[in-house]
Amino acid sequence: MSMKKRWFALFTVPLFFVFIVVVIIPFLSGVYYSFVSWDGLPKNPMKFVGFANYAKAFADTRFLNSLERTTVFTLITMVTVNVLALGFALVVTSKLRLRNVGRVMIFMPYLIGGLLLGYIWQFILGDCMATLGEMTGRTDLFFYWLSNKQFAFIGLIVVATWQMAGYMMVIYIAGLQSISDDVMEAANVDGASYWQALFRIRLPLLMPSITICLFLTLSNCFKIYDVNLALTGGGPANATEMVSMNIFNEIFAKSNYGYGQAKAIVFFIIVGVITMFQVRLTSRREVEV
Amino acid sequence: MKRMKTLTCIVLALSLLLGLGLAGAQAESAGKIVVFQQKTEIYDQLVELAKTYQEETGVEVEVWPIAGDDYYQNLKTYMASESGPTVFTLNSASEIAEMSGYLADLSDLDVMGKVQENLIAMVDGKKTGVPMTAEGFGIIYNKDLVDPEAISTMDGLIAYIQEQKAAGLTGLGLSQEGYFLIGQILNFPFAVQDDPVAFCQQVFSGEVKLADVPEFQEFAKLFVAIRENQVNPLEVTYDGNCGDFATGKTAAIHQGNWCYTMFSTYDIDFEMGMVGLPVGGSTAIAVGIPSYWFVNADASEEEQQLGKDFLDWLYTSETGVDYLMNKFGFLPVVDGMTSEKLDPISASVADAIASGNIIDWTFNTEWPASVIMNDLVPVAEEFFTTEMTEADFLTALNDAFVTAAAE
Repeated sequence: MSMKKRWFALFTVPLFFVFIVVVIIPFLSGVYYSFVSWDGLPKNPMKFVGFANYAKAFADTRFLNSLERTTVFTLITMVTVNVLALGFALVVTSKLRLRNVGRVMIFMPYLIGGLLLGYIWQFILGDCMATLGEMTGRTDLFFYWLSNKQFAFIGLIVVATWQMAGYMMVIYIAGLQSISDDVMEAANVDGASYWQALFRIRLPLLMPSITICLFLTLSNCFKIYDVNLALTGGGPANATEMVSMNIFNEIFAKSNYGYGQAKAIVFFIIVGVITMFQVRLTSRREVEV
Repeated sequence: MKRMKTLTCIVLALSLLLGLGLAGAQAESAGKIVVFQQKTEIYDQLVELAKTYQEETGVEVEVWPIAGDDYYQNLKTYMASESGPTVFTLNSASEIAEMSGYLADLSDLDVMGKVQENLIAMVDGKKTGVPMTAEGFGIIYNKDLVDPEAISTMDGLIAYIQEQKAAGLTGLGLSQEGYFLIGQILNFPFAVQDDPVAFCQQVFSGEVKLADVPEFQEFAKLFVAIRENQVNPLEVTYDGNCGDFATGKTAAIHQGNWCYTMFSTYDIDFEMGMVGLPVGGSTAIAVGIPSYWFVNADASEEEQQLGKDFLDWLYTSETGVDYLMNKFGFLPVVDGMTSEKLDPISASVADAIASGNIIDWTFNTEWPASVIMNDLVPVAEEFFTTEMTEADFLTALNDAFVTAAAE
């Protein structure tokens, strides 16, 4: 090994060490725990049960329902977040006078933690909506959203979109700014309209950003927990219980540590496969000038 | 120059390690205990008590904050990561059984000699849990607005709820949190049975169907009346529920004497009382030991001793007892402990205890672990957001118990 390579290795050691300690080891022990029946308390007995936990997971309707619900949630939120983020990015990179203020305001929700955000919106979608309904008389739209199954779910989408759109916008802004002015100018000279330039030139050149944003929204939406917990807590009647919350409840509320771990591994594989597939698909469409 | 670079790297690497070492060392300072308990309503007072304790004994007491219903989940997480509190509380028999490996033997505590045997939490014949207080729950009513005689039968109660609706008031306030939505109120039809313990077992094993039991049919009728005549309980918080009662917007709520700590922050100009939920011809208040204090057997010997000293001080010293009686509003459970100024609700509970007109807390002693939060709450939420019939409601509750008991 050359001197340079050794230095390189030395500098990656801390990161490598951290990665092994906080990701690899917990993951492997998680795989191990998924084969036992245990309540999670070190002093209580642990029993090896083989694949029984996995078999149970695939027969657990509450788990399967939450998996389906999370998939629907992810698909919708992925679209709303990215369309909004791209729209905002286009607006705030234009010659608009308020573009800097706009950037700050749209990015701000991302800086507020998911829990806090959830509680703020719990107030808005709950008491505020109900009060608005009383004031305006439009009780068909303005009512206590969180005690209605469908509307609580919509509320979750609204809040998650509001939280993530700002962050994705920043990535799109960076992507848009990296498109060279020459290309845009050439398009202008050739007489391309705004929409032609957008769809034929900017979007194709933006594909790397789109890949990243889709990946981030996809994995974040699948794994959503904090907003879910603070906004609806899974209710009413488990109608908004996402997979992460289902797993958490299995482990910490029902004390089925091993079973919960098995669900987590199943969940990991699903998220892993889907995101890998998505990254392959979108990165194939990336082009260079 | 090259040497300089190497040196810098080594120094940086070392400082990283040193940082880790220091962080580890700071966690262990002497003379400190951590207290973690579920009762949100005494949290502020407990923090104040911790300061007093430190002034008196020099031992630092850190009180960890809590978020109500999630207490047990949080506690378990701390315990599993071996960073649990020194002194903590547990509520139900199922929790105590699960945590039994972590409960230190407290037989040598002074306070244990002064408490009735049947109030102490025992594990394998050892005294491990100090009863926190006794509590009672039932219908807390505003004496200006409600005649207790009128609501002493289920039909009367339902008629009263309908009357209140006509007057624009909430008849019997419930709130969205699991215990206050369904957990505690559902105790009544269980506890009024002739032999509640045997009855619970029959229900959990599927022998008895709740839909066939008259007390439960009455209960389901009440819930329908609540759904039809009141604001959806899922839209009401504990604070809102108690606050509305304190300000006269709600004539009666289903709550316990613990909420008086909250009432006392309002200027209340009416008298209040408590009666049990009228099912099966009984109006007894449900009285039980809500929680027990435990010392973490996983903590170091010294820390355990500090924890034991703290509990002894809390229940036997003058300052400690003063806090328990006057600041926490606890009912006396230790012999020789008396409270001169019980709040009106606690006084109702104390009277009921004295007269023996009380029923047990089966949800603490008999019900399967975490059945309330995991299985009953979704059923109640479903009930309050749909047109679920009485029979379906009882069947769903029945299934919830059977599933939870089988797990």
